[in-house]
Amino acid sequence: MLARLSRFGPALTRFRTNPAFGAGFVSQSPPSGAAGSATVSDLQPSSAKESHGHAEVSAFEKNRDYHGFSQDPVVDEWNMRMAFFFGISMAIVVGGTFIHYLPDHGMRQWARREAERLITQREAAGLPLMEENYYDPSKIVLPGAGEE
Amino acid sequence: MLKILIPTLMLFPTIWLSPAKWLWTTSIAQSLIIALASLSWLKWSSETGWSSSNLYLATDPLSTPLLVLTCWLLPLMILASQNHISPEPLNRQRTYISLLVSLQTFLILAFGATEIIMFYIMFEATLLPTLIIITRWGNQTERLNAGTYFLFYTLAGSLPLLVALLLLQNDNGTLSMFTLQYTQPLHLLTWGDKLWWAACLLAFLVKMPLYGVHLWLPKAHVEAPIAGSMILAAVLLKLGGYGMMRMMVMLDPLTKELAYPFIILALWGIIMTGSICLRQTDLKSLIAYSSVGHMGLVAGGILIQTPWGFTGAIILMIAHGLASSALFCLANTSYERTHSRTMLLARGMQMVLPLMTTWWFMASLANLALPPLPNLMGELMIITSMFNWSYWTLLLTGIGTLITASYSLYLFLMTQRGPLPSHIIALEPTHTREHLLITLHLIPIILLILKPELIWGWCF
Repeated sequence: MLARLSRFGPALTRFRTNPAFGAGFVSQSPPSGAAGSATVSDLQPSSAKESHGHAEVSAFEKNRDYHGFSQDPVVDEWNMRMAFFFGISMAIVVGGTFIHYLPDHGMRQWARREAERLITQREAAGLPLMEENYYDPSKIVLPGAGEE
Repeated sequence: MLKILIPTLMLFPTIWLSPAKWLWTTSIAQSLIIALASLSWLKWSSETGWSSSNLYLATDPLSTPLLVLTCWLLPLMILASQNHISPEPLNRQRTYISLLVSLQTFLILAFGATEIIMFYIMFEATLLPTLIIITRWGNQTERLNAGTYFLFYTLAGSLPLLVALLLLQNDNGTLSMFTLQYTQPLHLLTWGDKLWWAACLLAFLVKMPLYGVHLWLPKAHVEAPIAGSMILAAVLLKLGGYGMMRMMVMLDPLTKELAYPFIILALWGIIMTGSICLRQTDLKSLIAYSSVGHMGLVAGGILIQTPWGFTGAIILMIAHGLASSALFCLANTSYERTHSRTMLLARGMQMVLPLMTTWWFMASLANLALPPLPNLMGELMIITSMFNWSYWTLLLTGIGTLITASYSLYLFLMTQRGPLPSHIIALEPTHTREHLLITLHLIPIILLILKPELIWGWCF
């Protein structure tokens, strides 16, 4: 009855009774044990065969090493290799190394060093650290007061 | 620029001319090579802004992180879609990947655009592939409503933007970002000028989204297939933030007064959407509302126009893009197994899929802004700069951060801990593909801890 009500239908009993799935799932009680499962297997005797390929079949049944990419085992394997190689080995490792060795990003560390150098230089010479005016006032030409 | 654009355009022949069984392998390989090449944009060795420039496209420290994020996301979208698209007929699979690649192309052109009309056209162009992905490949009937909301909210916001840009072109003679940054502040005094100001920003506020015009987002994010949710959450929302930051350059000094209602809406939105998240039963809807909250903080940071606000906004955009996309991928792994987004139906997953729980944990920690992840750094910069702008914002941002932590923890506990329902004790084991997908999201966030200056933008 659980198999009838649950979303997976007959597939659930098939999962439960299929010994090939022992590794990945919660261990099942033997089919003769609980009265409920005996009823279930009577109601759904050959569920996979009767559903004629419409039940959800896990790809792990045909391919123990299914990686999630393709039903064809060769394509699955190669797709996995390409994704990991270009994703991890190239993009993250090589790309990460490239980023790590990039020069001073935005010249921020240079700016810090330059600022410290200028400060020590101006303090040693007794000059103020920074002028109030950004532009030299003598170079600014303003129109005369009477002109409009 | 062309060394990224041409391989991206050549993805179209790759998709359509690959033999059927190698379609996904070649797509993922080529898109990862493009992602690797895009890292070369991160070189910024001068102190001044634009680099990699030609007449029409250039990169600067604001657009570069977003461009790299876009290029990184395409292979991730292809990885995520592989399972649910493979039962479809071959040409439809090719069409789907072509839509993702066309989105990528429009986004590269949008973020790289130096002329605002070009940015606008690409901004609008990204709507079309997204609409097709949502309405054609979404799983529920609500996808049509979602597509309508998505399209019309964004269009209603962006048509005034077109008018505003044409007016600006008429007055200034140019809309090139190179020259606009040096124009004099505009004398904006009349009501018409204020409407112009609002028209410039409305499209981006809708896109971010700002709380109040955010209704399209939960619908679109939930109804979209996984690739649609990923690109929406990770990049398309950031188009809004990016657009706002570009336009802010010209909108001073009006912004000082006119931004108030939007800042308040953004901050209030953090609290409201956070509270909505705590009451959600739909997993994707929770993640979608959390995006609204985070983007509200970004909007607040941009609207106050301070260097730390801008920097925090960029950092949070990148970090949130990766974290939110990771959460959607995780939700999708749950959805592909149980065909339900209801959190109550897929609890206690830690018992069945323990390694996936590790990824859920890390993604939830990223979402709740755990130090030293860049999510926290961005949020902290925005919160402190808003505190400097007005002390009262601390109340809203503080409560917002608290609620964010609560719902992120709630998300993790509801999906991973608790009793395992009896109907899902026999779930498909996690595929290698899914582990790779999540790690490719999480590793960049962690690596950004080590070199955050890549995403500090040009203000810091």
